[in-house]
Amino acid sequence: MLGWIGAIVLLVVVVPVVVVLLKGVLDAARRVSAAVEQVEAAAKAASADLDAVELLGTTRTQVNQTVGVVANYGGSLDTILDDA
Amino acid sequence: MDAAAVVTVLAVVLIILALVVFLVGVILELRKITAGLDVVIGAVGEILRKTEPVNEVVHAINADLGAGTELLEGLLLKKAGPEDGPGLVESVFPGGGTAMLEREGRSGPVKNIDVVYTRGAVQLVRLGRESPLGAGGEAGPALRDAEYSSTAARSLYSNPTGPEAGARSRPGSPTIGSGAPAVFGSVTGGADEPPTGPTVDLDAGDAADATVDQPPAAKPGAKDEVETKDIGLGSRPGDEQAAE
Repeated sequence: MLGWIGAIVLLVVVVPVVVVLLKGVLDAARRVSAAVEQVEAAAKAASADLDAVELLGTTRTQVNQTVGVVANYGGSLDTILDDA
Repeated sequence: MDAAAVVTVLAVVLIILALVVFLVGVILELRKITAGLDVVIGAVGEILRKTEPVNEVVHAINADLGAGTELLEGLLLKKAGPEDGPGLVESVFPGGGTAMLEREGRSGPVKNIDVVYTRGAVQLVRLGRESPLGAGGEAGPALRDAEYSSTAARSLYSNPTGPEAGARSRPGSPTIGSGAPAVFGSVTGGADEPPTGPTVDLDAGDAADATVDQPPAAKPGAKDEVETKDIGLGSRPGDEQAAE
């Protein structure tokens, strides 16, 4: 009789609990996998968006030249315009 | 074998099968996650590499722009004054005048500059530019032509006594000397015709006005002699005697 009770408990309680727990782990792993795929796409897009960062060097050079031209222009204005 | 034992064995087998199936599924999912993370790590590394010089470059750009801003603000303060300078900035960039005052350590209301900055317009006029400030809208063709700036300027700045558009800006220099096509006071006709030239009232004005340059005395041994012409001022009584 005790053997029957143990067998029934094992079959009715333990097996479903094990199955539910394992299914939860599998579902979580699948959700993580989907999230990783989205992160992968976002990282690729972000990397592509940063391609123009390399042009910052050109921007720095041009800003430097522009400020130099403005300085020269300011010197000319200082000469031709009266002070307040 | 007891039937209960058979059922127990069957339950254990089911448990093991469930473990195998789900754990294999988890393993497969974890492998996919690992592969995805490898790709993500590569992309993130690329992002890090691309953004590495951003701080340095942006700081350098900010420093350059700050220097330019200080230069222009200083020039504006010098030329427009401490009151008009922030007002001019405020009229172009709302809020910029207050910020300029704060950068100078001052506070208070910013002077309101109207549409036309009179002092600036006066400066432009003083420089010979008929200031177009406030004269019209910004629509239409540009005031200055980059290729034909001289023509554009002549169309802008009227000069009634100046040459017309397309004409020579200045008349040619006159030919002077003996080879000139027309000599002032020269005899144009025969010997009987009186020489042309102005008549001078010696009694009314300064006699020096009518003094005619006399040729320098020929020096002994001089190679060249200056050729002179009588400009026909006539003579006055006593000149002959003075000449003698």
